Amino acid sequence: MTPPLLELEHVVVRAGGRAILDVPALGLEAGTTTGVLGPNGAGKSTLLRVAAALLEPTSGRLLLDGRAASRVRLRAVTSAVLQRPLLRRGSVRSNVETGMRFHRVPRDVMHERSAAWMRRLGIAGLADRPATSLSGGEAQRVSLARALAVEPRLLLLDEPFAALDAPTRGELLADLREVLADTGTAALMVTHDRDEAAALCDRLAVLHDGELRQHGPAAAVLDHPADPECARTLGFDTVLPSRLAERWLGEGSGEVALRAVDCQVVEDGDERFAHPAVLRRIVPLGPVARVVVEVDGHALQASAPVPVPAWLQERGVGRPVRIHLRMEGARRLGGSPATGETESALGSAAHGRRQS
Amino acid sequence: MDVLWEAITDALGLLIGGDGETYEIIARSLRVSLTATLVAFLLGLPLGMLLALGRFRGRRLALAAVNTGMGMPPVVIGLLITVMLWRSGPFGALELLYTPTAMVIAQAVIAFPLVAGISAAALQQVDPDFRVQMEALGATRGRALWAVAVEARLPLLAAVMAGFGAVVSEVGAAMMVGGNIAGQTRVLTTAAVLETSRGDFAAAIAFGLILLLIAFSVILILTLAQQRGRR
Repeated sequence: MTPPLLELEHVVVRAGGRAILDVPALGLEAGTTTGVLGPNGAGKSTLLRVAAALLEPTSGRLLLDGRAASRVRLRAVTSAVLQRPLLRRGSVRSNVETGMRFHRVPRDVMHERSAAWMRRLGIAGLADRPATSLSGGEAQRVSLARALAVEPRLLLLDEPFAALDAPTRGELLADLREVLADTGTAALMVTHDRDEAAALCDRLAVLHDGELRQHGPAAAVLDHPADPECARTLGFDTVLPSRLAERWLGEGSGEVALRAVDCQVVEDGDERFAHPAVLRRIVPLGPVARVVVEVDGHALQASAPVPVPAWLQERGVGRPVRIHLRMEGARRLGGSPATGETESALGSAAHGRRQS
Repeated sequence: MDVLWEAITDALGLLIGGDGETYEIIARSLRVSLTATLVAFLLGLPLGMLLALGRFRGRRLALAAVNTGMGMPPVVIGLLITVMLWRSGPFGALELLYTPTAMVIAQAVIAFPLVAGISAAALQQVDPDFRVQMEALGATRGRALWAVAVEARLPLLAAVMAGFGAVVSEVGAAMMVGGNIAGQTRVLTTAAVLETSRGDFAAAIAFGLILLLIAFSVILILTLAQQRGRR
């Protein structure tokens, strides 16, 4: 069996007396894109910098093709795009050629490759423009072309779309996806946007407080959070503590996570499906309104349609409401993500209750 | 007004007339001050880099010391170098006092904190992640540092200009360590002082004007290099 392109083994980075990164084991396979998700300060960028040999881990080791990866070996096969496109003074073309110069690519090859990559990323028309005159999206394209022109085996992306507006981000994301597929380049992308991760990544790793909490195939990770923190990162805003889950969903449910849209505030309803709660706050944000309710001292994120129904608007904070859980969206935490057993187990439990 | 007019015609006469001694003084001024600036740059840039990009205990204190050095009076530095090079001083055996080399040393010491301090400020203007990004594209540490310096080339040239401007125009240290010996260590500033003390204002002003012209020419060349590609 061929070893992964890059493996992290017991990698720990300590700073200021605490571990800011703790990854027991993580492998990046050739030809796959791995997304690193996590809230701010989770250690995502630290992980990227370790993989790029920009940061020496306090302990642990990195293996490249199964052999210990020195800084020089790692630098030779990686190239990174940081969050802000940090371009040099000079033309777009000279910027795209920067990395190749560091890698001592012969001049004629360099010119050919820079022209090809500028065409590929739609910036050929900007070749002679000064880099300082570009828009954010154009600059990020230059930054991406510059990293790809090195023809790395592992491309490292640190929230490359974070500063871009939605349409620009969408286009660039689509282009990047094509490029990665065409070239077979492996990539590690740090992001806090799970839609981006879902769109681009084959595998996902979730970090929290520097710890690698979960990793696996993207679809499995997105659908089966391992713990409450992973659940929140993966968009399951409501985590029912086991006491509540067992009361509502039956014995042995454990902690259960739901997305706010699957946890709806209703005026009234069948007591078996709509559970009593206390209204705490309404935040009309986005296509659904976020409604914070409280049950037995636990704050839960629920949702209501927009515009917020009159009855809900009139119901004051501290007054009773009911919440209805859509069981299709409920996920038991810590369930085995690979088998998908979590979903069926919960689904049948919910069905059982509905039929009773 | 007559004195000034006379001075201007004198200066033109000295420049165009091909007075051998004047040319020699001009050449020596340029040679001493440019060499001193170069030495100050070669030593000041690495120190500026260290102060701007390094992480070590006492960095801020060192930076404050360098910034204080920017305002050091040339006379004090001249005095210090004179004492060092004095026959009975620690470097007396080198017999450098009253030579152009001594002048270069003194002027380099004057320009050094200027170059280092302004370089440090210039390099700190570059985004700290820029160096990281260069390394992330495969640059060695040295290459990445060089890329930062290239990125800061406009303010770094300003550091060079400030250094050259300071030394070409100073007279105290040049007089003290050089001694204003005709044909050996006389430069434009010391010559101007001498002519003034002799009461030959026209000659003194003429030297002053030539000094101004030379300083302007050198700075103009540096400015054109700095502003290349801009209108």
